[in-house]
Amino acid sequence: MAAAGPVAAPLRPGRAWTAAYDIRLALPLGGFFLVFFLAPLALLVLVSFYADPAMTRFGLDQYARFLLDPFSLRVLAATLWLGVEVTALTLLLGLPLALLLTWAPGRLRGLLTLIVLLPLLTSVVVRTFAWIVILGRQGIVNAALLGLGLTDTPLKLLYTEGGLVLALAQVQMPLMVLPLVTALSRIDPNLADASAALGAGAWRTFLRVTLPLCLPGIVAGCLLTFAAAITAFITQSLIGGGQMLFMPMYLYQQASSLNNWPFAAAIAIVFLVAVLACVTLLNLVGRLSRGRARA
Amino acid sequence: MTLHRRSLLAGALTLGAAQAFPGLSRAQARKLVFATFTGSWEEAHRAVLVPPFRKSSGGDVILDPMLSVDQIAKVQAARANPPIDVMLHDPGPALTAIAQDLVEPYPVAQSAHYGDLIADAQEPMGPAPFFQIVGLTYNPEKVKTPPTSWADLWKPEFKGRVGITNLNSTLGTGFLVEIARMHGGSETDVEPGFKALEALKPNLAAVAANPGALAALYQQEQVDIGPGNFNAIQILKARGVPVEFAAPKEGIIAFKTTIHIVKNTPVKELAFKLIEAALSPEVQAKLMQSPYLIVPTNRKVAIEGEVAKVLAKDADELNRKSVFQDWAAINRGRPAWIERFNREIRV
Repeated sequence: MAAAGPVAAPLRPGRAWTAAYDIRLALPLGGFFLVFFLAPLALLVLVSFYADPAMTRFGLDQYARFLLDPFSLRVLAATLWLGVEVTALTLLLGLPLALLLTWAPGRLRGLLTLIVLLPLLTSVVVRTFAWIVILGRQGIVNAALLGLGLTDTPLKLLYTEGGLVLALAQVQMPLMVLPLVTALSRIDPNLADASAALGAGAWRTFLRVTLPLCLPGIVAGCLLTFAAAITAFITQSLIGGGQMLFMPMYLYQQASSLNNWPFAAAIAIVFLVAVLACVTLLNLVGRLSRGRARA
Repeated sequence: MTLHRRSLLAGALTLGAAQAFPGLSRAQARKLVFATFTGSWEEAHRAVLVPPFRKSSGGDVILDPMLSVDQIAKVQAARANPPIDVMLHDPGPALTAIAQDLVEPYPVAQSAHYGDLIADAQEPMGPAPFFQIVGLTYNPEKVKTPPTSWADLWKPEFKGRVGITNLNSTLGTGFLVEIARMHGGSETDVEPGFKALEALKPNLAAVAANPGALAALYQQEQVDIGPGNFNAIQILKARGVPVEFAAPKEGIIAFKTTIHIVKNTPVKELAFKLIEAALSPEVQAKLMQSPYLIVPTNRKVAIEGEVAKVLAKDADELNRKSVFQDWAAINRGRPAWIERFNREIRV
């Protein structure tokens, strides 16, 4: 902005008008959000304050029911923990991939980008079904393990938390890799050269220069992956199964099978608040680290 | 009239909206809207039910397949001007729709076919045009002796081979009630059912989130035996999956799938004609043929083919072999059962 200042100065008379027009340009989207996001959200909050499933009187009963019940709190904790596991695994696998993508020469880079983007071009349902085929008793993993003689009976991979974390990590991978690539490609390559010229090894350069500078990308990727993993209803129910209860399934069960809209709404609001808290925390980490990277 | 930028924009937006949501303009033309179920049900209804209805009524119909709960939510949201004219329901949601005053009583006196239905299909608030049948499904390549009783699921040889669904579905709930009955319980006392589920745990390979997911597990050979829907199995069989249906000797669970005229529909006459077509022996006989194999409820339909081979030779036998559960009682207990299932059934 500071660099643009002198150039923009001669245009000043028109500027006030431009600024006003800019805001008006956001009006359609703003209106869209108001009608299709904020209004339903307000309705959701309202419904959550009904005390009984028939929605006849108001009260805090639904929130009390959730927050005072160890079982419900365990479901919330399990869901957030699932998000942490998936995010960690995605970061672990995604960062090397992003580095490779950034450093790769032109043609290979295009190919890698296509590979990263490919999952986004197929539906989540299709990707998830592929994982059923991979993880099943007769699946690729078990067939390979049996064929190599590493195990006598097929391992149970489907309908386990490990299998679910793995599948979610693959399904959400582009959400991690794309922000990482953006952040990494913004780093001036001269910085790495300078670091090397000053005697730092590859690891030291990575840890002291590349990693701090791409932290905003890491935070953005983690935010997206976390949010997508904990709300991934389809993958959670198909790979996790019907007895592994996470918040989206809990909510669906109450709303759809039991017609208990107030409790379902309260679950949604509690979930929303919990996720917002996690996001705020991550953002804070991001902001602190950005301060550090600049210093 | 001068053309203002704003009115032009509004016009363009309206046109765009009409393009994006064809339902808007469709609602104004008001053909009959029939909310059938998704998948093979829609296919069957489109192929077999719609043509004779068009012929007999001269009207047109739109099939808008959706889950029962969605049907109820949509009608509830617009009671005065419902977006659906004919609803199709499993027994649990049907009672909810009736309790919420969303459906009209069926004009029984004017109906040509109502009296021909099996007694259990005669529901004055909405008759049953077909039954959904739940029994045992198994993989014949892995399970050499066909199962004959629900009790077979507890056999030690099926350790880690049994698949069930949770109680979100009609299938899972019906199964729980049935095994409760087997052990002396009932629709109001499912305690023995939960005890039996507890004892089934070593045999459980999977608790699927819904019947569709359960069916997919047979394909992956993740499970070899479990409770299953007769019609869902036919779809898999048709695609070459090794899976068979067996009627347990305790009786097959029959879910009355009922069809209802929505209250305040502007096309009540058409709705009645569609339901009449669905109850008629001609349509039901065709729906019973392969590949649909939908179980008829009209006594005038001579049962034949796969349905006769696996389920019953005639309406009387079907009536005798079927167990009809009390869904009014089930609906009352279900919230607590789901809660308990959530807590106790962890595999």
